[in-house]
Amino acid sequence: MPISEIAGCIGCQTCVQTCPTDVIQFDFDKKKAYIAYPEDCQICHLCRLYCPVDAISITPEKSIPVVVSWR
Amino acid sequence: MSDQIKSDKTKISRRTFLGIAGATLGASAIAGNMPPMPAGGPPPMGHPPMGHPPQRNETKVDADSFKEEQLEADVLVIGSGIAGLFAAVKAHDAGAKVVMVSKGRLGSSGLTPFGKGVFSYDKKNPKMQVDEYLAKVAESSIGTNNPVFTRQLLEHSADRVAELKEWGFFDSALCFESFSKPMKERKIPIIERIMMTHLHKEQGRVVGASGFSLDHNTIFNFSAKTVVLCTGSGGFKANGFPLCDLTHDGTIMAYNIGAKVTGKEWNDGHPASAKNSGSSYDNWHGQIEEKPSTTSEDIHHDLGVDLNYTAYTKGGPVSMGPPSDRSNSDNNSGADFPSGPYIPESFRHAGGPPPQQEEATGLSALFAKKKRQGPPNMGGESVGGSTAGMAIHKSEGLVPIDETGLSTIPGLWASGDALGSYMSGGIYTQVGSSMAGSAVQGAIAGEAAAKASKTVTAISIPKEKLTQTRDEILAPLKRETGYSPAWVTQTLQSTMIPNFVLYIKKERMMQAALAYIEELKEHHGPMMMASDRHHLRLAHETMHMIITAEMKLKASMMRTESRCSHYRLDYPGIDTENWQAWINIHKDENGEMTLEKQHFDKWPEFA
Repeated sequence: MPISEIAGCIGCQTCVQTCPTDVIQFDFDKKKAYIAYPEDCQICHLCRLYCPVDAISITPEKSIPVVVSWR
Repeated sequence: MSDQIKSDKTKISRRTFLGIAGATLGASAIAGNMPPMPAGGPPPMGHPPMGHPPQRNETKVDADSFKEEQLEADVLVIGSGIAGLFAAVKAHDAGAKVVMVSKGRLGSSGLTPFGKGVFSYDKKNPKMQVDEYLAKVAESSIGTNNPVFTRQLLEHSADRVAELKEWGFFDSALCFESFSKPMKERKIPIIERIMMTHLHKEQGRVVGASGFSLDHNTIFNFSAKTVVLCTGSGGFKANGFPLCDLTHDGTIMAYNIGAKVTGKEWNDGHPASAKNSGSSYDNWHGQIEEKPSTTSEDIHHDLGVDLNYTAYTKGGPVSMGPPSDRSNSDNNSGADFPSGPYIPESFRHAGGPPPQQEEATGLSALFAKKKRQGPPNMGGESVGGSTAGMAIHKSEGLVPIDETGLSTIPGLWASGDALGSYMSGGIYTQVGSSMAGSAVQGAIAGEAAAKASKTVTAISIPKEKLTQTRDEILAPLKRETGYSPAWVTQTLQSTMIPNFVLYIKKERMMQAALAYIEELKEHHGPMMMASDRHHLRLAHETMHMIITAEMKLKASMMRTESRCSHYRLDYPGIDTENWQAWINIHKDENGEMTLEKQHFDKWPEFA
């Protein structure tokens, strides 16, 4: 997984706004952010760095195959 | 760098991975041990993305429920990176009513959040005199730079850096707060998380733009006297480089209303680490968490396609190293290849020990601070294509008709990576100039757009045009059958990203790739469907990537020579007789993509 977990979310929505690729959405009923589109995570960690309570966990593997120009 | 940050509770299982991989991609370029497929494809027809069975579009949002909001501005700034920041601030200070709109958040979109080096030229105490600097850049770029914009960087970079310092930009690894300071002080409104899809032209000039919200069912229509595109460049959502939100949106919107676009044959040659090649963070080796700093004069010939050439002629594994390490005599393929990309003599590192690589190559060369320890990619195996679809910074985008970044459409400016200014030409010459150049150009474009806005009256966007725009924006939500944007993107990636298509170019292979891309453009692109706003965004982004791919292939076929970051295996030499020219692309009155040469010392006129 790329972004893999949001634990201890305080519902500030900063990660939702900060994610460049719109991976994170906000559940207005639960008042918590959730990972909606992990396949589009570019693993840049901006969400984690901006999170005021360090709630976000990220692993370095993409959840979909990576296309490279050579291997 | 540890393999993960904080938690490994949800690591993907092998079974899940195989399910995904088997369903989606067939290119030889897939990282890992996937079976190879024939050159350039074929794409995995008939398989839906993400391992799900084929299904009709189960739309979660009602297209008919979209409201429309109208906003007005003297100057509409599209994009909220460093170019957009300076465009907005300087346009406001020149007396204009400014509105900024962004696909992301201020200071958190595009490549700006990751730019850690900012070039600053000290005019009073320079390490290199202006003329010496300009001559050296021209030598490195083999004449492909536009010295007007190179000089502009020297003239203004220190002033922009001083303002950034005042706002606190260099005091934090994250730039939202420092960018917010001048915007709040001036009360400049920012409309965030809007995917812009259309520019509007009436009576021969730009009059506004439209897009949709990622957060609610709203279409935004902006009426503006002038528009400054600060939308960055883009790529093919390749992996390992944080530009997956950049899909040349501004360039394609402008192309669609007749603007001239340039630079599509150039390539940025960034590789990624072979291990965790999809992780931008790991490729940056912690640099994302560092505060930015300034750089000074130090001209290079970087980020071309040398590594791609080495990989092509020798095969892997490929590691970062000085360009002079490559030679034909030691390729072990047995094939007779022409010499690789030409490197001007004074930029070769032959003979002696490797140069100070912490400043010279790799990811660090793009943005990095000076004297970094442990630069990205050094010493480890690399894979290619992490910036596939992006050209050298400032070498692609709208064609300027003057030094302010005015495009060939009256009232429409571009700056930063959205402007084909050729500040460095077709090769990367100066560490930190990407950020500084965007700041400098944004400021100049913003001020020019503000002044121009005082000389024109607003022209309203006709209702029928807004109705048509709405239909085009929402069409993917209304399709019950069709293709998912993710699948179309993956097919495009499989076609374009292989080394033997995008980087080590040959006429026949590009023709083959073009056949795929034209199929996507004419058939699959128009049939993309979206179940929600996120996928609606992906549908529009994917269409922008398809048009970009077509431009890149056609420009690359037209340029029958090799120079800087454009390398043709069938035309390996520099052709100074025929190619002292850039390639400009526009849509003609029949809607056809048209390419033309523009000599290096000429400026075009309004379209």
